[in-house]
Amino acid sequence: MRLRLVPALLAFALVLQSSVARAHPHVWVAVRSEVVFAPDGKIAGVRHAWEFDEMYSAFAVQGLGKDGKPPTREELAPLAKTNVESLAEFEFFTYAKQNNAKLKFKEPTEVALEADEKKIVTLRFFLPLETPVSAQKPFSFQVYDPTYFVSFGFEKVEPVKLAKAPAGCSLSLVEPKPLVAADSQKLSEAFFQNMSPGADFGVKLATRAIVACP
Amino acid sequence: MSRRAAFFAAALACGAALLLLCDPAFAEAGRHPFAVAGGETASAGGGFAGLVLAWQNKFHQQLQMAARALKSDQNAFWTLAAASFAYGVFHAAGPGHGKAVLASYMIANETALKRGLLLAALAAALQGAAAIALVAVAALALNATAQQMTAAAGLVETASYAAIALLGARLAYDKGRGFLESWRAPAIGEAVGRFACVATDDPDHIHGPSCGHLHAPDPTTLDGAGFSWAGALSAVVAAGLRPCSGAILILVFTLSQGLFAAGAAAVALMSAGTAITTGAIAALAVLAKDAAQRLSRRSSKRALLLGRGAELAAALFVLGFGLALLAGVTARGGA
Repeated sequence: MRLRLVPALLAFALVLQSSVARAHPHVWVAVRSEVVFAPDGKIAGVRHAWEFDEMYSAFAVQGLGKDGKPPTREELAPLAKTNVESLAEFEFFTYAKQNNAKLKFKEPTEVALEADEKKIVTLRFFLPLETPVSAQKPFSFQVYDPTYFVSFGFEKVEPVKLAKAPAGCSLSLVEPKPLVAADSQKLSEAFFQNMSPGADFGVKLATRAIVACP
Repeated sequence: MSRRAAFFAAALACGAALLLLCDPAFAEAGRHPFAVAGGETASAGGGFAGLVLAWQNKFHQQLQMAARALKSDQNAFWTLAAASFAYGVFHAAGPGHGKAVLASYMIANETALKRGLLLAALAAALQGAAAIALVAVAALALNATAQQMTAAAGLVETASYAAIALLGARLAYDKGRGFLESWRAPAIGEAVGRFACVATDDPDHIHGPSCGHLHAPDPTTLDGAGFSWAGALSAVVAAGLRPCSGAILILVFTLSQGLFAAGAAAVALMSAGTAITTGAIAALAVLAKDAAQRLSRRSSKRALLLGRGAELAAALFVLGFGLALLAGVTARGGA
């Protein structure tokens, strides 16, 4: 009896394991960001341009635009509003740090959703820091979706720029560690421990941009 | 024996709980800024093999590429078809409320394997059909915008949560009655004693398994409620009504390329893939249930009660889950 039960239980556990497993993205975003400096040399905030993948773009422009032309900013404005309104709850997907402390952002301004010739949509907005910070200590940020519904990735060419930065400021990007090797290990540990590796793929796959000024 | 049965009942209950608690919709904090019609939101945390993740990613990207290529190259349809099918299989391997509802229903109710597989297939087919119908009506016929489609999908979502709650209420009622009946029924040992070999004048009368009369009520005939198609179909609706975001995205994308029919075919294949995974889960639920029943059949009243208790627990999970999902929808301002 006991022997017969074992495979059933094991199989059941396997299903559970796969169901606690993971989510995967449905939307891809190529990120371009600018770290914007105030006239006094402090960092004022981050300006984002998020370009969506073809499928989400097709979804966004569905029913908009006349005569097969891409929709205008005005036509896309209601969707932009909906998008940005719910960003706050997700911390704008922008996680900034200085001295190991998390920095807070205010509501985004200069929000625009645009579609290009190929009907690829880009969401642009400026994300002001609640209080501007001095750039003399390294300031860093990452863009990711902790729920991993959206896969954010920096654009390949010139993903991050500095705007109005004082002379001598530098920028570097730190790529995430490769995922698979480390996580296979986690998988086997997790299986025997609590069935959830407690991993967070969104952040694990996120590049960190670091700004430092003299 | 009863201890083992208790262990099993506990395992089943935990299983149902885990399936439900892992559901992304359950963990959903609020409306995702880039939510796609279909209300699917990925769950935070968790993530085992980067490998499986990479596969899913790959299928999704292949889908996108194949759909794009389709415009100039008709052969790309086969790539699209294959990728859709694979996406269906793997996507369904992730968490989802449909599977949780279906598995709980199976644990609470279903004992026939073939019927379980059929129900899983129907739920998968309904999910595909719901996506196709939504996009066909909203986008193709009414030229609705993304926001309007998301709103429409929100209504469907709410309806599906209500269906889950109703299914749960019905199951809980039936299973609650079954549980109470078992509670009130005399202990099986006693019953056997009472029925056993009261003097018969027939010397050939042998009390064996083949003797043809009932010595004690067979626990399985004490089921609170038998199978009903109405109940089974409501489980299918509860599990499959909410369309998935991936399907909606493919449909809208192919529509934007003027290839809606190809998109619909791809989604049908995706459903076929999903049916395989949900079928496997349904089969496991049925097997687990079967094993549990085999245990309870041989053992004491207490084990029987535990089995019934597990069924009732699964039913209550479905009910609580449906109500929680509904509350979530209401909290974020009616879809």
